[in-house]
Amino acid sequence: MRVSSSQMFESGMLGISRNQADLFKLQNQLSTGRRILSPKDDPVASAQALVITQSKEVNNQYLENLGNAGEQLGLLEGNLAGLTDFLQYVRERAVQLGNTTLNDRDRGFIASELESRFEQLVGLANEQNGTGQYLYSGFQGATQPFAATSNTSGVFSATNPAVNYAGDSGDRLLQVGASRQLGVTVSGADIFMRIQNGNGTFSVTTPPTPPGPTNSGTAIADPGTVLNAALWNDAIVQPQNFEIQFRIDNTGAAPVTYYNLVDATSGLSMYTNAAPSAGPPYVGEWRTFTPGQAIRIDGLDPAFGTASGGTDLGIQIVVSGNPADNDKFIVRQSQNQSLFDTVKNLAVLAGQPIPVSAAGTTEFANNLSAQLSALDLGLENVLRVRADVGTRLSEIDTLKNIGTDLDLQYTSRISNLQDLDFAEAISNLTRYQTQLEAAQKIFVRANGLSLFDVL
Amino acid sequence: MSMLTIGVTGLNAAQIGILTTQNNISNANTAGYSRQSTNQATNDSVSTGQGFIGQGVHVETIRRSYDQFTTGQINSSQTNASELTMYHDQISIIDNMLADPNSGLSPALQEFFHGVQQVAADPSSIPARQAMVSSTESLVSRIQGIDSRLTEQYADVNGRLKAATSEINSLASQVANLNQRISIARASTGHAPNSLLDQRDQLIVDLNKQIRITSSADGDNLNLFIGNGQQLVVGASANLLTTTPSIADPGRHTVALVNGLVAQELPDSVLTGGAVAGLIRFRSESLDKAANALGRITATLALTFNAQQALGQDLTGKIDGSAGFAADYFQISTPKLIAHGRNSGNATIDAQFSLAPLSYNSGNFKVVYDAGSGQYTATSGRYSGGPWVSNDLALLLDTVENSTGEPIDIQNGHFTTDITTSDYRVQFDATGNNYTITRLSDKQVVVPTTAVGSGPQFFDGLSVDVSTAGGTNDSFLIQPTREIAREVTLNAAISADPRLIAAAGPVRGESNATNAGNGKIKIRSIQPGYVQPATPLTLTYNSTSIPPSFSLAGATGATVSVTTGGAVTNYVNAPPAVIPYTTGAIISIDGINFAVSGEPKNGDVFTVGRNINGISDSSNALLLGKLQTESTTAGGTASYQSAYAQLVSDIGNRTREIQVTGEAQSSMLSQALTTRESQAGVNLDEEAANLIRYQQAYQASARVISVGAKLFDTLISIGL
Repeated sequence: MRVSSSQMFESGMLGISRNQADLFKLQNQLSTGRRILSPKDDPVASAQALVITQSKEVNNQYLENLGNAGEQLGLLEGNLAGLTDFLQYVRERAVQLGNTTLNDRDRGFIASELESRFEQLVGLANEQNGTGQYLYSGFQGATQPFAATSNTSGVFSATNPAVNYAGDSGDRLLQVGASRQLGVTVSGADIFMRIQNGNGTFSVTTPPTPPGPTNSGTAIADPGTVLNAALWNDAIVQPQNFEIQFRIDNTGAAPVTYYNLVDATSGLSMYTNAAPSAGPPYVGEWRTFTPGQAIRIDGLDPAFGTASGGTDLGIQIVVSGNPADNDKFIVRQSQNQSLFDTVKNLAVLAGQPIPVSAAGTTEFANNLSAQLSALDLGLENVLRVRADVGTRLSEIDTLKNIGTDLDLQYTSRISNLQDLDFAEAISNLTRYQTQLEAAQKIFVRANGLSLFDVL
Repeated sequence: MSMLTIGVTGLNAAQIGILTTQNNISNANTAGYSRQSTNQATNDSVSTGQGFIGQGVHVETIRRSYDQFTTGQINSSQTNASELTMYHDQISIIDNMLADPNSGLSPALQEFFHGVQQVAADPSSIPARQAMVSSTESLVSRIQGIDSRLTEQYADVNGRLKAATSEINSLASQVANLNQRISIARASTGHAPNSLLDQRDQLIVDLNKQIRITSSADGDNLNLFIGNGQQLVVGASANLLTTTPSIADPGRHTVALVNGLVAQELPDSVLTGGAVAGLIRFRSESLDKAANALGRITATLALTFNAQQALGQDLTGKIDGSAGFAADYFQISTPKLIAHGRNSGNATIDAQFSLAPLSYNSGNFKVVYDAGSGQYTATSGRYSGGPWVSNDLALLLDTVENSTGEPIDIQNGHFTTDITTSDYRVQFDATGNNYTITRLSDKQVVVPTTAVGSGPQFFDGLSVDVSTAGGTNDSFLIQPTREIAREVTLNAAISADPRLIAAAGPVRGESNATNAGNGKIKIRSIQPGYVQPATPLTLTYNSTSIPPSFSLAGATGATVSVTTGGAVTNYVNAPPAVIPYTTGAIISIDGINFAVSGEPKNGDVFTVGRNINGISDSSNALLLGKLQTESTTAGGTASYQSAYAQLVSDIGNRTREIQVTGEAQSSMLSQALTTRESQAGVNLDEEAANLIRYQQAYQASARVISVGAKLFDTLISIGL
């Protein structure tokens, strides 16, 4: 083939410039550490890298949110731990109140201490986080959730609250996974307000004063037992509210104690669905009572048929001691009694002098037992919430581990997609260098030959 | 004849040979130069009695090594290679811009959603809201920055087209000039004017660098044509090309042939080859696509984000409908409408994005809300009988369920748009009273012949309403996304007051603090067009009814839909509805969907009401944040980021394709050039050899003359 001189020159130059272009690209790759300098180098990998970069960023965001959630829940857990300690301390004081060696003055000290403890509890419940938002106010971060009411007397409960809740049940959420939103707050109502009194299903109390009168015997009722929850829940009469009434028949040689179950709303005997028969003598539905007897609220006395007003409520109450005539215990469906109410009730209870009589001691014991059991339920509730918060904290740990692993995977995938294989690049560098040198040498040699040199 | 004469012919021939060789040597590096050589022939012999005596040599002509076929190959490879080089140069700019890990859209988008998440984490914090505003402003400026570089490229294409046409004009007039000179030279000498021919061939190669030229020889004239036969050069006259704003879209310049006083616009399809085609193809295939794709991402982001923002409550407690509520987070322009330059009528066309389509049930249903008419339109790809239209979403959902038997699962609803990256043409018929709309990317008719005034037509995430008739065969171009990226802004009210970011939900569910049971109420979703309850909705649990139920107070007269396990039951809340209680069932009233779960106790009360003072609620901000990973774009098939990745991959693939075919064309060009060089190129060694040959011939002829002289001298000396 015939070759022209400029052709030789051009092809030599072309060889050199091609090698230089390769070297240039390699130099750029080596200096940036990236295999893909622009999407055209590998369009598919570039697009994938973009998508995975977003996944990585989103994952990092979740990790950041997890850290945030951890902090907030940590704060919550700290507060709840303080609350637990607080309740345990109050409980010790309450148990101390039951000590019969204490006199009214001693109890007065405890009363004033409990009174100030009440303020401490309101303070705990109105705790704010680092950014000045109340922990327990739901969505209304700037609204103080708990404020003492003007109620000062009576037994504090949902109907006569010591403290009102102004927050809501909104749960502040953080996005901690693609389809996981983690709540970082607990509604204040759940922790402080929504605590059932009695045994959680029903409460057994002595008649409150006012309206009174108080029991004058020495009968003490236990918190009661639920034998069949379904029967209780399905009871037709809602809310359940009835009384265990006692009568003493002193007409005989020895007094005989009777009891009856009476619907507090209608005043009818639950055995007969009719007004309790008057006595003495206590006949008909009246049943004899022996101290320590378990009174089963079954309501079904075959003698009066099953169509009567009473039904089996599936609960029983053990009454010990000796009731006086006209003494009664009120059995009600449990109602909410806030922690504030309980502490306040304890303070009030401690501050009242106990009449020096068996009846007075019994009344005090019955009231203390009711408040203690409410306090225990409150403590249990706080522990339940703490367990829930603890579960969330441990979920955070798990999610953090997963997220960190994912981050590593994303990083390595992005690196695989767009980063340079240095070993290969450096070996290519050597190759291109050799090629360039060869091209340059050949160029000089080939174009250095000319017939004119020998003319 | 004498020895001297014959010797002189040899001397002359050798001298011409040496001159030709010298010319070759001096032009060894001249572009387009064809190696020349002498054609020697013997002079006619003289007949004598002893036979024919040779009379020496003469040079017939000097001819150039030229092969028409090779030249044609060079021209055709050159025009392809130039086209691809220009295309590659242009597209590389976009390619490099999109890829840059710092300047691309991707980091700004991540930063923006990081800002959203910060608000979601701490909705009452003004600094967090300010951070979101700042990250939005940086996203907007990034989008505008990318768009302005694309806009620069549009201007650059216009400028380069102008430069290319003036280059073509200059070259064409030189060819016309050469045509004339060649004819004259040939006529006057009878010899081929080699250098002029070389020059003309080179000019045609240069022309082919700008645009594909076809040529036909007419005697000594070479007539040049572009496109499918448009005359560029005929004989000694050249036509002029110019650039002119396109009649269909004045923003873009195109090439026109000047025909007398009229510039006749050449359609893109006839402009092939060379830099011109490279520019035109780059603009229509890649630049439009990049600008439209960026516009689509921007429009989708703005529309979906706005739709979600409108469903929230800002830090000052305002919700959609309250005075001063910023329902739009982003502000974007409407689809651009361009009237054709030759339209005769005055059609009124209103093109809008059909706002925030909601897709349900994995695509079995699609509900579109048109903000203009306030109507919802439900369509189904699976069931016939649609579309269903109503301005009451709840009623619409009922109708659809009755018609198809499948309830629409409102839980899966999220915002998507169907906006494409294509442009559209509205074409009126001869009467101007009917029109069709065609999607230009695939020439698909999206709105078949429709009478003017038939109301808005929905297609591809747009609603187009032609309300008054156009002129005969009028047409309009709709560019939905082209300039969206240029004009997107953050709502100035939000920018000035970050409290207007709607991070909270407009309503909240509450279980009363006095409730005895552990029932929990949760707002599941808020639908567009939801009705804010004037007084809180109150659900009171009644365990004594069989089955246990809620009695509902508030929202009198509204339809209450209860969804349990996919089955929907409707109640009308007049008199107060009694709704059987199923834990977790979704209760929908006036576009508010909520669920109660757990075990409520008799008399427990749940309310749904305004989220008063709900400054720590981030439920809407969480939904805003989720938009990042949701499939919002392209009819619910891509997230913002994956739509961007698709753009990057498209441009990357196109660049690679152009690079690879460009390299192939370059190598074909270099092969053709090699072929030409091996025929017509000057080899200096060869010329050196020729120089020696002609030198020797010259010396030999000179010696012949000197021998003749000696013989003559001998004769003279004998005679003396």
